[in-house]
Amino acid sequence: MTLLKTPPALARLTGGRRELVDRLFAVQSLVALLVVFIVAILASPTRDGEILFLTAGNLGNIVRAVSEIGIIAVGMTFVVLLGGIDLSVGAILGLSAVGTATLMVDSGYGIAPTVPAVLAIGAVIGALQGYATARLGIQSFIVTLAGLQVARGLARIWSGGLGIPIAYGDGPLQAPPAFEILNGSINGVVPVPAVLFLAVGVAAIVVLRTTAFARHVYAIGGNEKAARLSGVPVTRVKVAVFAVCGLLAAVAGVIHAGQLNQGSPNDGAGYELDAIAAVVIGGTSLSGGSGSMGGTLAGALMLGVLNNILALNNIDANVQLLIKGLVIVAAAGLQRLRRGVA
Amino acid sequence: MRTRTAILAAVAAGALLASAACSVEKDDPAAANAACGPDRQYLIGMSQANNAEPYRQVMNNDVTTAAEAVKGFEVVVADAAQDNSKQVADVENFLTQKINLLIISPNEAKPLTAVVKKAYDAGIPVIVLDRKVEGDAYTAFIGGDNVAIGKAAGEFYATRLLPDGGKVIEIAGLPGSTPAAERAQGFRDGIAANPKIQIVASQPGDWLREKGQSVADALLKAHPDAAAIYAHNDPMAEGAYLAAKAAGLDKKIKFTGIDALPVPSGGIKAVEEGRLAATFQYATGGREAVDLAKKILIDCSKDVPRSTTLGTQQITAENAKDVYAKLGGS
Repeated sequence: MTLLKTPPALARLTGGRRELVDRLFAVQSLVALLVVFIVAILASPTRDGEILFLTAGNLGNIVRAVSEIGIIAVGMTFVVLLGGIDLSVGAILGLSAVGTATLMVDSGYGIAPTVPAVLAIGAVIGALQGYATARLGIQSFIVTLAGLQVARGLARIWSGGLGIPIAYGDGPLQAPPAFEILNGSINGVVPVPAVLFLAVGVAAIVVLRTTAFARHVYAIGGNEKAARLSGVPVTRVKVAVFAVCGLLAAVAGVIHAGQLNQGSPNDGAGYELDAIAAVVIGGTSLSGGSGSMGGTLAGALMLGVLNNILALNNIDANVQLLIKGLVIVAAAGLQRLRRGVA
Repeated sequence: MRTRTAILAAVAAGALLASAACSVEKDDPAAANAACGPDRQYLIGMSQANNAEPYRQVMNNDVTTAAEAVKGFEVVVADAAQDNSKQVADVENFLTQKINLLIISPNEAKPLTAVVKKAYDAGIPVIVLDRKVEGDAYTAFIGGDNVAIGKAAGEFYATRLLPDGGKVIEIAGLPGSTPAAERAQGFRDGIAANPKIQIVASQPGDWLREKGQSVADALLKAHPDAAAIYAHNDPMAEGAYLAAKAAGLDKKIKFTGIDALPVPSGGIKAVEEGRLAATFQYATGGREAVDLAKKILIDCSKDVPRSTTLGTQQITAENAKDVYAKLGGS
């Protein structure tokens, strides 16, 4: 509202200051990741003088274990920057895993038609949600809550309620062996899903840094009315952002099916909350307009390191929940501090 | 500047992977785990599908209490919270910790098969509990026999509960689940000996107390002359009891359940307190798993049974107290 009356020079100035704060906080989440990493090394149990946390297999496992959540969190970051939320991602993951198993195994299509088709389904569901929230003016929380139910229902109907196993081979009712690469690792050490996660993350960083699309996202998240008045195609951007989020959830679903050799309609339940946690820990504000993709990647990896070190130390499962809750509150507290600063 | 931050993030993440790639493990875990014998320390990983189910919580308790009695055993429990991916990660973390033996109750067979095989191939003995994995890459399987349990319940109806026959309402488990189908089949086999017993209605209660209550509510309106309600588990039997009580039929109708967990909210207590006429134990296999672990690790036995089927026991008012104490209920 005030932006309309603010002289351009001042707008640039406040924008510049905001950017400075954002920059500091993006670095902060990296520093926090580093701190968590060092604490994990110190807290790691050792066997025969070897630090278990730092073993090759374990570091690979950490990134593999957060790869699906991480990819979803990348899409979620775009939505949150926009000032929205997407609760449907876990259900879209389940639907995509079912779709992958059904199309590839039961229907006997190869990888080439299956994967693009599944990704398209995710993107279309996302786009519809984006359109509903932009055009009908329903809050994204509500739209995607409905989307969650729809996607979960479709997954259960499509699969008949049961997980569809994926077996590999050349025969009928078998998936092409090449798909098994998602379960494998490069040189037996770096898991393929981890590589995909980092590739998606780096691509998203580049998009958010260099494109007009990204500037539009920040503008809408900062002040939708002002953005609209200054000619930002709000509807188109929203549809695109939710489509990207749905698409990335579908990517995670394909990886999920590949990692578990099964497409189960109930999988991915609650993943949306982990993804939102990664975004928040990464310093992106849930009120939109400020945050960074680097922060989200750091946030996802931090969650992974935290999960791993708690497990390696055999912390009781219930206590683990408490600790993770406290970490999220602490991250949100830092955000509040930031608003005070800005 | 922000680009630099972004690049930093990517580099840091890359460094994580690179450091992973550089420090390849040198020791051979298979050799380390092949060791066995008394007077050693053993770390046992217990990977549980979902702690939120009382049955599985009792399974964990059985494993940990049984292991406490064995010198040198230390058990660590991981809860997958019904998430296949989490359970895969749990087992991977156990492997990182170099456990000496794995006990796993898989959430689902197919997704856990690969990681269980990985542990087994690394020379770690694997005991699978309750639900199976695919293939044969495990040391031993321990599980109950739901057909036999259903049959035991049916025979109890035929000879003791309703010797003169009567109408029975069945409240079944989750449709499509194997235990529900097997407990239904076994029961029909069991009551076949007494043709005067008649199943007048069968509806799913999805294993849930509240669903058992609402289903019984409706069915008792249609069949107020029922003589007994056979529920596929104790919580649904308790729910049915509540429904009958609200309809003023609780004195006329007899209720039986299955599971018999030795916990305050479990079926044994309900029998002891007179709400259920009987319940039939579905054993967790936790103690049996630790017994096998002892044979494998301490006695160095190479010859353990590949598959163990757990028996059931009938719990009625006469033995409820004793069984509760014997199963370690508190």
